Amino acid sequence: MGLLKFQTVGRDSIFTRLDFRVKLVMMIALTVIAFVWESPLLQIGLCAAVVLATLLAGVRLSYLRTVLLVMLPFYLFLLVTMGLFNVAQVRSLLGREELTYLYRLPADWWLVGGVGFTLEGLLYGVNIVFKTLTMALVIPLVIFTTDVDHIVTSLVRAHVPYSVAFVFSATLRFFPVLLIEAQSIIEAQRLRGLAVESMGLLRRARVYARIAVPLILSSLVKSQQLEIVLQSKAFSTNPDRTYLHESTLHTADYLAMAFFVLLVVAAAAAYFGLGVGRFGGPLDFIHR
Amino acid sequence: MSEPLAVVDNVSYQYPHAERFALTDLSLTVGRGEFVGLIGPTGAGKTTLCLAFNGIVPQFYGGRFFGYVRVAGLDTLESPVSALARHVGQVLQDPEIQLIATSVENEVAFALENIGLPRAQMRERIAWALDAVRLSGTESRHPSELSGGQKQRLAIAAGLAMRPNLLVLDEPTAQLDPVGAQEVFATVHELNRELGIAILLASHAAEELAEYADRLVLLAEGRIVTQGTTDEVYSQVDLLRQHHLRPPQVATTFYLIGGGRPDGRIPVRLDDGLRAFERLNGNLCPQPPDLPPPVSHPDPPLLSVKDLHHTYPDGTQALKGVSLDIHPGEYVLIAGQNGAGKSTLIRHFLHLLEPTAGVVRVGGEDASARPTSALARRVGYVAQNPDSQLFSRTVGEEVAFALHHLGYAEDEVERRVVENLDALGLLPERERHPFALPKGDRARVVIAAILALEPEAVIFDEPTTGQDYQGAHHILEISRRLHQMGKTIVVITHHLYLMPGYAERVIVMGRGTILLDAPIRQAFHDLETLGATYLTPPQAVILAQALARHAPGSGADAYPLLTPEEVAACVVGGEG
Repeated sequence: MGLLKFQTVGRDSIFTRLDFRVKLVMMIALTVIAFVWESPLLQIGLCAAVVLATLLAGVRLSYLRTVLLVMLPFYLFLLVTMGLFNVAQVRSLLGREELTYLYRLPADWWLVGGVGFTLEGLLYGVNIVFKTLTMALVIPLVIFTTDVDHIVTSLVRAHVPYSVAFVFSATLRFFPVLLIEAQSIIEAQRLRGLAVESMGLLRRARVYARIAVPLILSSLVKSQQLEIVLQSKAFSTNPDRTYLHESTLHTADYLAMAFFVLLVVAAAAAYFGLGVGRFGGPLDFIHR
Repeated sequence: MSEPLAVVDNVSYQYPHAERFALTDLSLTVGRGEFVGLIGPTGAGKTTLCLAFNGIVPQFYGGRFFGYVRVAGLDTLESPVSALARHVGQVLQDPEIQLIATSVENEVAFALENIGLPRAQMRERIAWALDAVRLSGTESRHPSELSGGQKQRLAIAAGLAMRPNLLVLDEPTAQLDPVGAQEVFATVHELNRELGIAILLASHAAEELAEYADRLVLLAEGRIVTQGTTDEVYSQVDLLRQHHLRPPQVATTFYLIGGGRPDGRIPVRLDDGLRAFERLNGNLCPQPPDLPPPVSHPDPPLLSVKDLHHTYPDGTQALKGVSLDIHPGEYVLIAGQNGAGKSTLIRHFLHLLEPTAGVVRVGGEDASARPTSALARRVGYVAQNPDSQLFSRTVGEEVAFALHHLGYAEDEVERRVVENLDALGLLPERERHPFALPKGDRARVVIAAILALEPEAVIFDEPTTGQDYQGAHHILEISRRLHQMGKTIVVITHHLYLMPGYAERVIVMGRGTILLDAPIRQAFHDLETLGATYLTPPQAVILAQALARHAPGSGADAYPLLTPEEVAACVVGGEG
């Protein structure tokens, strides 16, 4: 049954106690800040804070490791291409022409001969890596620390129509069910003597692609069953619908919300006023 | 009959795009406070009929619907499903899919929220419904933490909270172990007797229906074949067999004996059967079957575990020092309640799990050092749900899947595909999509695909779950054929009554240990050990023990009989 609850952390923390609306504000605030900042150092700091928070909230290390493993190839590709080719942008951001070359490709190489790998390009890549990582990790911090039923009541209080809130929660509920289904199919393939572990990437991808059909079929069957269940339980999007639990904001929630709003305001002021968060800004170590 | 609550009047129904009618000219009345059992083979129309009571059929599915269904005065064609839901509670077969909330109390609250019940009343109703199904105290638990029986009781509570007049349950115990099934039947019985809620329950659990239902309706091909009291219907053994249904073993036994009750009728409940035996006092076969001599195995074991421990990441100790040898050519039944460790044990043979401690050997080799793909070529594993084991476009491709990947030559692949499909009666279906076949056939496709690897042993994990009696026997017949071909067979099942005639050796597990390892005649008569892991012996075993008690000068194990046929032969033989 572990997988059915993989989206729910077992630990009680400030994150599980905050209202979902507060966490939404937090998610938006951190995403906006990560999006605007270009400073690799600040991005690393922000990302480290989010990682720490997710771990404190009880999100399993193995989950973070999986996210990293999935993203790793993209990140490596990004760092290499940024280091090699992101020249014009970093020159314009730093306002100087000369860049620090860490390595130059031999001049006689076709097409890319003589192209240099710049420190500034690499650092800009680092900024993107941690920017996206922050955005990716803040989602489990918000979703995994909130009971799906509370998400619905909280969204409804935030004037999101019940039908929309329900679809959102149903999707979240469906995800682990699909994951279990996918695992059983992969297991069934191994039980047919398929040595997935010793296959090349391409062959493995082809084998995994076969999961799609039974997965879609079983999703269709399950969503139809779910619809029957909902109908039998008098499901309606009637505005007179009542709720067992009330979603109320307490002082701590208001304080936390105010903190994140102020954080965005402060970050904006520092960015536009002092250049903090800009690529090569005052808190960065890249000289302009 | 009591005052009518639900009336089905001359209903015929055809699903969209279906070739034939699922229900035909069907008329049925359920009285207030009545407990009606619905029986019939797979495809008889039981689920369709169940869904017609709250308007899901035809309002959700569409299709062609004739006649009418009225529940508490509401016409199911005219009233929306949400209005009917106040009168009809529905419980489906799969406990997982029908629980949609993240806590027990939210699950019960969901329907009440939908009808806009004020919060204070909602709290009262939740407390009442959970109390009625004996789940008080679990309010804040996640439904996935509950046992199978508790989940179904929660589904019942969720329906019950609407204070319905009628509770419709569609095979609610099909996926439960005997304890869970017993919990559900006891709860439903209590709701019926104490709260007067009418029950319509579709099930293959003949012994339980005989015990609890007031009336039975036998459905086949969308029509009512017969209806009457449980005594009337279950005593028509020929008719039931004709429709591939299983009567309670007591009924079969006395049908073979020929009568039993003073009125000449066949008893269908165990206590009636036991009373009938008292009247047969003394008329017993002189020579009951002997226990088989202990079997010696000259060959080294094919499957072996020594002092195996397994602890799951959440800390659950599923196996606590299990040691076991299964020799080539054996047919072994592994039984025990859910959580006894059966599947955990078996999954080690395929290296689907890593032992926490201990040794697992397959054909003398350390299984932990071999990949699943290599072990699967020696040990075929037919897991529970066939649908998550099918991933090819045609039945033929499904069987050829592994062979292609293992690099067999095309003519060898063709030979094995044809041979295995033919052996399982699936050759005519070769070009069809596996999901286009009925569930019983889909299970056979999985078996054919696994047999194509020509494994030395085949493990069937709960192969009869969700199958009707005929479907279950089809699969067990396959296992028997494989056994006769010399393969080692291991079956995991709760349905002990299915296994005489197939299994030779029984391993009873409980709480991660082996409680008993004995030949089937001995194991099925060890009621104390079976009871310790909440297994219900077949009624024939209990009848045989009653026979033994009546026989002068013999112990309880003097008649190690297993089937109604054996018990009846013993009695008839004695009388002769």
